[in-house]
Amino acid sequence: MISVSTDTKFVHLAWQKDEKLLEKVKYTMGSDPTGYLSRMFGVYDEATGLALRGSFIISPEGKLFNSEVNFYNLGRNIEELLRKLEANTYLGIHGDEACPVGWKKEGDKTLKPSAKMVGKVYEALNK
Amino acid sequence: MGEHCCGLSVGESVPDFKMETYEPSKGDFGEVSLQALRDQKKWTVLFFYPADFTFV
Repeated sequence: MISVSTDTKFVHLAWQKDEKLLEKVKYTMGSDPTGYLSRMFGVYDEATGLALRGSFIISPEGKLFNSEVNFYNLGRNIEELLRKLEANTYLGIHGDEACPVGWKKEGDKTLKPSAKMVGKVYEALNK
Repeated sequence: MGEHCCGLSVGESVPDFKMETYEPSKGDFGEVSLQALRDQKKWTVLFFYPADFTFV
């Protein structure tokens, strides 16, 4: 987990030390002052030089699995981000399965897509 | 502008990147690269936000 803004690492340090809410922060705070990374992910706002609220999940193979971008005034649902991360991690191990609507955590019902299941998803989910 | 002028899409490979960091757990500066995270077989979450010292 890496947070990224266009602030420098020096500002990250000052903010983390100053703001009581961030006292317990352990994650890495990345600095993207040129906007290079923000542009790569399409969240750079050229008008302000700031990054929009984007969350991206990248697999150990370097593939982009999820992307979500909010405009300025809407905060994210961290639980949803963690849910997606857990689902991706699970699917990374169980590649032949799928996490259906409402899947929350390991142990919840998954699907194994197959010809037999076409049109029978209800039955598969409720057996 | 590079080839990814408009943002990566889901399913695409993310080009290697490197950036300077502040590591609150160590109280020190550092550096992170996608390659290093991949070498550790880690999933990576990038969490962009507009600016330090703001509110949402």
